[in-house]
Amino acid sequence: MTTTLAPATGLRPRTATATESARARWGRRFQHGGWFVTPFFVLYGLFVVVPVVRGLYLSLTDANISGDHTRFIGLDNYREAFRDHLVWNSLWHSVQFTLYVVPCIVVVALLMALIAHHITHLKWLWRLCFFAPFLLPSAVVGNLWWWLFQPTNGMVNHVLGIDTPWLTQKSTAMIAVVVATLWWTVGFSFLLYLAALQNIPHHLYEAAELDGANALQRVLHITVPNLRTITGLVLALQVLASLQVFDQAVVMYQFGPGPEESTRTFVQYTLEQGFTSYRVGYASAISFILFLIIAAVALGRMWLLRLREEDAR
Amino acid sequence: MARPGLNRRQLLSAVGGLTVAGSLGFAALGTGADALASGASTRVRYWNLFTGGDGANMVAMVDAFRKEHPGVAVKDSTLTWGDPYYTKLAMAAAGNRAPDLSVMHQGRVPGFAPGRLLDPWDMGLLTKYGVREADFNPVLWKRGIVDGKLYALPLDIHVQLSFYRKDVCRKAGLLDADGRLPTATSTDDWFALLKAARKQLKDGQQTLGLHAFDQNFSWWFFVAFYQQLGGGYFDDDRTDVTFDTDKATQVLEFLHQHVADGYTVVGQTDAEAFLAGSPFVWEGNWSVPYFSGEKVDYGAQPLPPVFGTPATHAESHSFVLPHQADRGGAANEGAHLLAAYMVKHATAWAGGGHVPAYLPTFQDPAYLKLTPQNEYSRPAMEHPATEPRIWFAGSTGTLAKRIGPVVASSNVGSAKPAAAAHRMKSVLEELLATRNPMDGRTAAQELKGTAA
Repeated sequence: MTTTLAPATGLRPRTATATESARARWGRRFQHGGWFVTPFFVLYGLFVVVPVVRGLYLSLTDANISGDHTRFIGLDNYREAFRDHLVWNSLWHSVQFTLYVVPCIVVVALLMALIAHHITHLKWLWRLCFFAPFLLPSAVVGNLWWWLFQPTNGMVNHVLGIDTPWLTQKSTAMIAVVVATLWWTVGFSFLLYLAALQNIPHHLYEAAELDGANALQRVLHITVPNLRTITGLVLALQVLASLQVFDQAVVMYQFGPGPEESTRTFVQYTLEQGFTSYRVGYASAISFILFLIIAAVALGRMWLLRLREEDAR
Repeated sequence: MARPGLNRRQLLSAVGGLTVAGSLGFAALGTGADALASGASTRVRYWNLFTGGDGANMVAMVDAFRKEHPGVAVKDSTLTWGDPYYTKLAMAAAGNRAPDLSVMHQGRVPGFAPGRLLDPWDMGLLTKYGVREADFNPVLWKRGIVDGKLYALPLDIHVQLSFYRKDVCRKAGLLDADGRLPTATSTDDWFALLKAARKQLKDGQQTLGLHAFDQNFSWWFFVAFYQQLGGGYFDDDRTDVTFDTDKATQVLEFLHQHVADGYTVVGQTDAEAFLAGSPFVWEGNWSVPYFSGEKVDYGAQPLPPVFGTPATHAESHSFVLPHQADRGGAANEGAHLLAAYMVKHATAWAGGGHVPAYLPTFQDPAYLKLTPQNEYSRPAMEHPATEPRIWFAGSTGTLAKRIGPVVASSNVGSAKPAAAAHRMKSVLEELLATRNPMDGRTAAQELKGTAA
């Protein structure tokens, strides 16, 4: 079995023995790790690949919820989607939500992580408080904030001493969803930042302190640059998650589209098409549009990262 | 090297065995184990959507049925009303896992693909169990018929009511000698009532709970007042929208005035505010058990006929047979028996606030004694305002989803009534031109029975 010791340079002639040995090598590797990853691949295939392929097929048909009388209609659903103003309208709401929520999460998570990192007293309590909302189900969060934003007896107005109808006017409706989401999900990014903060070498701070840098300068010139990688990760994860915003908005607006239809998100519109209007084919087509957008964002990020790595080299 | 006592193959087969055993266990739960356990020979799976004040009433009726018919084991499931319910029902029927019997709003029947997602009733079986067409409200019975077959067996009619607190209204000097509120027959009359009642309130209390921001209620109230003005939606051929934007504007202005003049506080939890002392709330009759349980001295009328002609929004719960490829046999017969029992025991059902579709109930002294049912039942049943009978209409259907938010925007003042009325018309035009996804035909083609 000397073949396995040969370097896999790709320069070796492709002979029968090489193929055989490659197969043997693969076989042994599979024996070592294959059985551990097989369940993942099986589940991934069954619950991700198969539904995606099936969804793609459905998007080219006029399938309804009963599955009867399904005809292949080519790209008609996509053509209709491009003319459907509610597709664009709801897509804009999802993008708008993303634009509001992502920067807030980055800033607030970082601030929270700095507090939890530097505080020495009751450290566990701070961490628990910051992370705990993340454990709640979306239905709880939606209902909770629905109550908090009530105009006359809600806590938000009571604390602020105002009587803003947060949920029923267009100008504040999306802000209400953003605030609820921020409270609910910021704990996850907070944890990432907290872990990253603990990895920044302490001597950097000591050196800066000796050089006379104040606390703010230390944060801006040591902490923030050292967290660049994790900020990139938080940004990417939050953008991808925020584009799929659905449940909290739906619960807060009780399956409605909000004041002047200002909080109907893309996923909500997909649900309405598929499960209220029973247009499964059309719903599949518009969900594929979102899939392509999200895939483009993810690929764009990978491309940026690669560029940066090449620059670094 | 020590080996664990179980090798991979043994482990896999053990897990597989557990899975099979587990799935058999679940399958048994869903196919008759409990029927066998109860000693019953027939098992009927029954889905309903009653979660409000009427929910406990339905559970009590099913229990009463069980006592009378020990040979039929009813496996009843209560699911959340609205989208979740109709989605599950459609998918169960499409996937051939439908329950034997379920409840559906009559307005949803035309869009629910009778013949494909719904099976017709067996008239022979219904007759056997004492159900006769002559005993039912003829309008409701006819609405259940599609292509000459009965698909929806009517249980009740349920309406939007104007509830009033007698204690507050009495203090305001509004009640007549019988202790009832006189009917307001014009918008001026109505606002005069509200104005008088408001004087009795503390700061922050609303005079009328109107669900101004709720897309379903907004649409239902619109339907009622629009019909009071004699407004229509589509022509008889279902090819043109005949929606009258002037009349619609009048209705929207009326609804918005409650908010503009401060009688309604947007976002206030209406039923709770009523229990806490608000004099009026517009709610469905399913709130009757809830309000009665709280020992509030109250009355209930149909929505006030402020535009002259009485009309209040009405929908109807009916029994349907979700499609099963092999419908028939004992379970199907049990479903017919259970439905027949429910529709005929309408006095018990009326305790939940609904107006029975079964006419002999109106001769039942026990029913006539029910308050406030006896205040609203007859006028409500005589003047129902229903959504247009078309595939995209019906409780929480596509029409309510598209048009309800427009009414709500006008109610809360973020859209001008006239602009909202035009918006409503364009939504109606869009929907009328849309093909029913279940059969690929527009409303006009369905009416004429032509193919796509």
